[in-house]
Amino acid sequence: MVDLGLKTLLHDKTKFAITVAGVAFAVTLVLAQVGLFNGLLDNSDLSIRKCSADLWITSHNTANVDFPQRFPETIVERVRTVPGVSRADNLLFSYVNVALPSGASENAVVYALKDFKAWNLPWDIKDGQIEDLRRGRFLFLDEGARRRFGDFKTGDFREIQETRLRIVGQTRQAQSFTTNPISFMDYDLLASLQPEFLGGKTSYILVRLAAGTDVGTVRAEIQRRLPYQDVFTRDEWAKKSRDYWVVNTGIGMNAYLTVFLGCLVGLVVVGQTLYTSTMEHIKEFGTVKAIGGTNRDIYAILARQATVAAAVGFAFGLAMALSLKPLAEKIYLKLIMPVPFILLVGVGTVLMCLAAAMLSFRKVANIDPGLVFRS
Amino acid sequence: MVLQCQDITKTFHEGKVATPVLRGASMHVDQGEVVALEGPSGSGKTTLLQILGCILSPTSGRVEIEDQDVSQLNARNLAMVRKRSLGFVFQQFNLFPALTVLENVEYALNLKGVVGKAAKAEAKALVDAVELSERGNYLPRDLSGGQKQRVAIARAMAAKPAAILADEPTANLDSQVGGQVLELFRNLARKENRGLLIVTHDPKVRGIADRVVNIKDGVIQS
Repeated sequence: MVDLGLKTLLHDKTKFAITVAGVAFAVTLVLAQVGLFNGLLDNSDLSIRKCSADLWITSHNTANVDFPQRFPETIVERVRTVPGVSRADNLLFSYVNVALPSGASENAVVYALKDFKAWNLPWDIKDGQIEDLRRGRFLFLDEGARRRFGDFKTGDFREIQETRLRIVGQTRQAQSFTTNPISFMDYDLLASLQPEFLGGKTSYILVRLAAGTDVGTVRAEIQRRLPYQDVFTRDEWAKKSRDYWVVNTGIGMNAYLTVFLGCLVGLVVVGQTLYTSTMEHIKEFGTVKAIGGTNRDIYAILARQATVAAAVGFAFGLAMALSLKPLAEKIYLKLIMPVPFILLVGVGTVLMCLAAAMLSFRKVANIDPGLVFRS
Repeated sequence: MVLQCQDITKTFHEGKVATPVLRGASMHVDQGEVVALEGPSGSGKTTLLQILGCILSPTSGRVEIEDQDVSQLNARNLAMVRKRSLGFVFQQFNLFPALTVLENVEYALNLKGVVGKAAKAEAKALVDAVELSERGNYLPRDLSGGQKQRVAIARAMAAKPAAILADEPTANLDSQVGGQVLELFRNLARKENRGLLIVTHDPKVRGIADRVVNIKDGVIQS
């Protein structure tokens, strides 16, 4: 079969390039925006997923991991007595003020524990020994902090809460949805930096279950004994933290709106180009009808053109989005594009282009084959 | 008879204004016959061609293509008749600019249900018949007017239609090239035993026609 649709599409290379560029732009916009949003969402529950705790105990109605409410640290003793609990520790989470060499000040998130190794925190150490945190006024700082704090190296000092602390190690990929740099320090040190705020308090209790213990049973028992706290499994707490940003703030809506606008831009560009192309080739479609072609033959031509524009535009758009990934990583941003999501965008692109082509369907349905007799 | 019409009337309406274009036209074209349809501008000859070509439906009267009454057929069935029984040659050539000479003919064959190697072979044979073998892979923009019209003739002959209808086929060609195209057209139609109806102003068409039909003010004169 002679592929009239494809050959006509490729015949005018400039117009084809414009169509493909429109689709590619829309695809890049959707992939990059959703990829960045996925990256931020990944940060929102990263510490929960990486931490080896089976259960998280929080203050009642804590919205997400970044906004804890404090409660008495002695509660941990009651948790340790629950049958099936092999270990339970307090985890302090707080925001501290960091004075920068430039004279400016920034905030950092601090995770503070007495024994980090027991809980797989931090999960990716670039340099330093995490045990050193117990030996003095030290901290670990994530390498991503450079974006906010400027350059630093292990061994440097920083003034935190008006106290000189030494950076004894660096971590990788420890990032928060709030974009505040994450640091790690000893539990007692953090409590001493904010004594009025944190003294005698904890933010969370991390719980590890004994082997073979039923999670539901232990959780119910802890909940029974701690009626003023909430107890979550790791997955539940991760989901709650993630959903907070998607549902309770406008950020999720913002991401969906951008996706919608990306699709709309693509739809308009492709629709307009295909419609203009249809109008320019109206006499050719008239000829197709005059020599025996039907509306179905012409729809097939338009659908073929839309599908090819979608496929080529998607390929370029995907390539552009993928090329943004290393650039994003350089500024400590994550662009997460899972394969199912990419496939979904691919299918969506084809459907979008076919929908755009439908704008032309009505026009060609009414083409009078007699127009080929007019000069 | 491959084409026949009896007492055809056609009136166009624009708002409340009715314009009668054909007023009881009757004519026919036999198999292997070349008929020239002549008349001044506005006489209704192109409208009659479109009715005989199943592109327009008459207001009244009867049209038969290969002895089948097509007067009352809907647009879809008229398209089927065009596909099966008719070939067209247009004044403006109306070739597909993105397709080569061979592809233009092959595409017409595809629309008529001939596909694959059979379509390629028939397209090549038709292009050879119109003496464009050397230009088979050229795009229409690289052809002269006469060559384009020869491609259009090859396309019209695709899948062996019973009748070919040509609308002013020499209007955009110079006198010498127009004469050559008409010769070729007549020879092919005779050789293939097709009915050929040519709507024209061109007096040269008389020279190749078996019969000349005149139309004036929507009425057949002879």
